Amino acid sequence: MSSPPPAPVREPAWSLSRSAISLWVAQGVIAALVEAAVVAALIVFVPGDAGWWPTLVRWGGPALVLVTVVLDIGVQPRLRYRVHRWEVTDEAVYTLTGWLTRTWTLVPISRIQTVDVTRGVLQQVFGLATVAVLTASSQGTVRIPHLGADVARRVADDLARRAELVRDEAT
Amino acid sequence: MIDPVEVPGRRTSAWVLLLHTITFRQARALVPAALAFGATRGLDGGALTVVALVVGVTLLSLLGAAVTWWRFSYADTETAMVVTRGLLSRSVRTVPLDRVRGVEVEAPALHRLFGLVRVRIDAAAGSTGGTEEELLVDGVPQAEGDRLRARLLARRARVVAGDVAAAGTEGAVAPPAEEPEEEIARFDRRWLLYAPLVGSYLAVPLAAIGALFRLLDEVPDRFVPDLDRPDLPDGTVAAGAVAIAVVLLALGSIVGSAVVNWGFRLVRRGGSLIAVRGLVTRRHTELEIDRIRGCTVSQGVGMRLVGAARASALVTGLGDAARRGQLLPLGPHAEAWSLAGRLVEHPGPLIAHPPAARRRSVVRATALGLLVLVAGAVLTALHGWWPVLVAGAVLTALGVPLGLARYAALGHAAGPRSFAVRSGWLVREHTVLQGRAVVGWQVRQSVVQRRAGLVTVLACVGAGTGGYAARDIAADEAAAFARTASGSWAATLTPYG
Repeated sequence: MSSPPPAPVREPAWSLSRSAISLWVAQGVIAALVEAAVVAALIVFVPGDAGWWPTLVRWGGPALVLVTVVLDIGVQPRLRYRVHRWEVTDEAVYTLTGWLTRTWTLVPISRIQTVDVTRGVLQQVFGLATVAVLTASSQGTVRIPHLGADVARRVADDLARRAELVRDEAT
Repeated sequence: MIDPVEVPGRRTSAWVLLLHTITFRQARALVPAALAFGATRGLDGGALTVVALVVGVTLLSLLGAAVTWWRFSYADTETAMVVTRGLLSRSVRTVPLDRVRGVEVEAPALHRLFGLVRVRIDAAAGSTGGTEEELLVDGVPQAEGDRLRARLLARRARVVAGDVAAAGTEGAVAPPAEEPEEEIARFDRRWLLYAPLVGSYLAVPLAAIGALFRLLDEVPDRFVPDLDRPDLPDGTVAAGAVAIAVVLLALGSIVGSAVVNWGFRLVRRGGSLIAVRGLVTRRHTELEIDRIRGCTVSQGVGMRLVGAARASALVTGLGDAARRGQLLPLGPHAEAWSLAGRLVEHPGPLIAHPPAARRRSVVRATALGLLVLVAGAVLTALHGWWPVLVAGAVLTALGVPLGLARYAALGHAAGPRSFAVRSGWLVREHTVLQGRAVVGWQVRQSVVQRRAGLVTVLACVGAGTGGYAARDIAADEAAAFARTASGSWAATLTPYG
């Protein structure tokens, strides 16, 4: 990572809400807790003399939990926050998502069919919302995850209004 | 909008009762239950049980068909097509005419006996490309089917054209049949010879053979003739059997292809493309040219050997492009391309992907083999068990040509009004799309791709499979490709500087 090659396409301009980091950390904590519970249950209930695989569980399980803790809580949220970006230009909605595999998605406002705002349980806790922009293509959906709830609503309203004005019925 | 309840409904022909009874259309759902019943009770009650069962199922089938027929009605109003059905829970489905994407009139063999047809109406269901709706009106007379098609499409054309003056003068009921027809393609019987090299047609005789064997298994042993084994060396028998099987397969696939594609014609009438085909079931598919966004020319391995190809149109709002959008089911490569060229401008020769793409392709293809190889090496070292090692070596060796072949299939090109991508190893698909078809771009880069300077660019399209990817193109080419392919709005992708 010392000299990362230049991005193949432009980076969108804006970052997500900083609360997104907290949300990803919370997700990581939940994942780690679930894993820990499963591993603990396995270690407690599997008899130690059932062959070679209880040993594997005994050592591999905690290791897996540790990896989850380090990756999902320590590394991934910050890295994701650094990578994730979004932008609404005059003509298009543009996002960059992912942390290992990066995906840039660009949808022109004239081809927007529906704009959805969704708020998951965790998102509500952290005051966040996801804006999903749908087009005629099943694969051409842009999701801007974890915006501040008020920002999300403003963006959705703005996009829906502008899409109405410039809608291209060709598709 | 007219209240759908007030629309006087039309009924399907009563002959359809007989049709559906014969084919057990409604009773088909009972088959598993009947089988379970037969399995538990056993059929040893003799002929009487069997007869009772057959009569019972037939009666049930008749009842089901009657109820379905009785509760089914359809109506085509000024603005919409309304289909009402259902015994207990009534369903009234209204499809506005401007959402109608295509009309298919098919005449299966039994329907033809009674002069009936089945009309399928495809309608776009909005944003989710996968869930297009379909209305099915089964069993109307041929003339009524044609009337329905003409009316739906004529109205639809008027609704879509809106204030275009020409459409107004045409009148409400001007049947498109009176417009001049232009034949674009016609099936040449010699093209049937390609069939043995096409996977899907080969599957027809294979399925038939499979069914035959299952049937033989069912026949009680005493009815199976005890064939004397000819006194021939085993090798000759095996070779003979293989030769016969190959010939049978080839013949079967030719017959299968002939049954499906017999008398294929593609004509242009007004603003529509009409494809007619089929020997037993006659299919009549209509596509609106205005809605065609691109073409796919696909070639399987065998088809590439003999220069055969198939072409299908990608129509917005119409899923299942492989079947309904078919422009040329099977034919020479040149024919497929000339057809595609009539619908979409060709963007120019394909550009090969960078050498890094070849490396990545080979690495990906050999990865599994290498994994097995390593596992095999460990096993050989620990237990002296070598078959896994050999298998790994073979897999790795096979991966190299596979990777090279997959790389060779890759290509992309962008022209002023259209662009093309090609990929696929077993079936090579070359898709040409109009620039205006693109409703979004997705640029994907994995960690490996980043190091290799590659990206995958996916054009999101509201037709066909929804997305067409140029896999592993040079990273610095991505923005320019998207821009050239779809117009200035994609300039947002262009990096600064």
